[in-house]
Amino acid sequence: MDYSFDERGDAMVVAIRGRVDEATWVAFGVGLSDGIEKAQQARLKRMIIDLTGLDYMSSRGLRVLTVAKREGQEAGVEVELASPNDVMREILAISRYDKLFKITDTVEAAP
Amino acid sequence: MLARFWGTRGSLPVAPTADIIQKKIAHALVASDGRKFADEVEAEKFVENDLSFAAGGTYGGATPCVEIEAGNGSYLICDMGSGLRQFGLDSMRRNAGGHPKVYNFFLSHLHWDHIMGFPFFVPAFDPEAMIRIHSGHPDAEEALRRQQEEISFPVPFDWLRATFEFVTLTPGETYEIDGVKVETKLQHHSHGSYGYRFTDITGRSVIYSTDSEHKLEKMAVEAAFIHFFREADLVICDTMYSLADSVSMKEDWGHSSNIVAVDLCHEAKAKTLALFHHEPTYDDEDIERMHQETIRYEELTRDGPALNVICSYDGLEVRL
Ligand SMILES: [Zn+2]
Ligand SMILES: [Zn+2]
Repeated sequence: MDYSFDERGDAMVVAIRGRVDEATWVAFGVGLSDGIEKAQQARLKRMIIDLTGLDYMSSRGLRVLTVAKREGQEAGVEVELASPNDVMREILAISRYDKLFKITDTVEAAP
Repeated sequence: MLARFWGTRGSLPVAPTADIIQKKIAHALVASDGRKFADEVEAEKFVENDLSFAAGGTYGGATPCVEIEAGNGSYLICDMGSGLRQFGLDSMRRNAGGHPKVYNFFLSHLHWDHIMGFPFFVPAFDPEAMIRIHSGHPDAEEALRRQQEEISFPVPFDWLRATFEFVTLTPGETYEIDGVKVETKLQHHSHGSYGYRFTDITGRSVIYSTDSEHKLEKMAVEAAFIHFFREADLVICDTMYSLADSVSMKEDWGHSSNIVAVDLCHEAKAKTLALFHHEPTYDDEDIERMHQETIRYEELTRDGPALNVICSYDGLEVRL
């Protein structure tokens, strides 16, 4: 798993690659916290997590997303998800995370 | 080794209403599509083979009670939910055939849904019965006596005729109980709850882990659960909520999700996961959907040997 940051419009985009599981969830959490801090410093209102390169995420990653959402709320940064692959889309539906997060088909489609 | 589920519902006993039964029968009649059946046995075969479990049966509505058959012949029972009543009657039938009247209980905790069956446990009136109640909680006896005080129940605890023994177990210790190795683990739940690991003489093991919340900000402690579940043949796990509910609206309500249960079992290399402590507001279709989704999640995230995901129901027997 690795990630990179890119500022686009009013959003900080964090692109995730690989998979988030038992071995990588801690690093993933550090990355998201970092992204929120960067967004806050740049006075951006949103952080979009670009899932294009993500294979899948287990419950560890999903729970890290909730932690990030809470950190974002405190920092005034809304956390959104974009571009999940088919596997990730299913996992988001099974876990009902599609009810907790705003999810768009592509990063560009995020309003 | 065998696990027999007498109660699988969480929090509150539920029963199907006339309306629900009517819908099941109507559905079956439509599905049979005019077929003729010679007798009820043939019709039952159709229900079993051609209808889904939710359509042709029910997961049941009794609260937690699971019997483990292992060891040298005494009864091993996890929790005293409303399913205990039926177990008690069934055990008396077996006692009449010569089964020893020794009951070893293991309590996850003392919440109402896990002890409410005890006042209806008929063997407690048998002066020849030996009833040993193991618990991680030192206040187990107090909880059982209190629910039979006059304000709650007409028959006081002191009228029971069996011989009682209360045993407090300590996590980290290994106990030998009637030829079965028993270990316990503290879990996150209101007033605390305890998981159990039972290992028989052949090395087969069953985990009973209910009413256990796996906290968002404490994922590091899950290593201890993975160790506790390690290579278990069967893990009976609290899967009451969706993951999203367990981290939002129902956070701190003390329960876990199907998703976290699969992840823990994968990491522990367990063989079979039994979904358990079903949400009382779920109907049979909801539980069946949750089961199908859990099987799918297991496939999507599998990174080693397959984990068999089964859904517990009142009356299920799992032989290991
Ligand atoms: Zn319960
Ligand atoms: Zn409870």
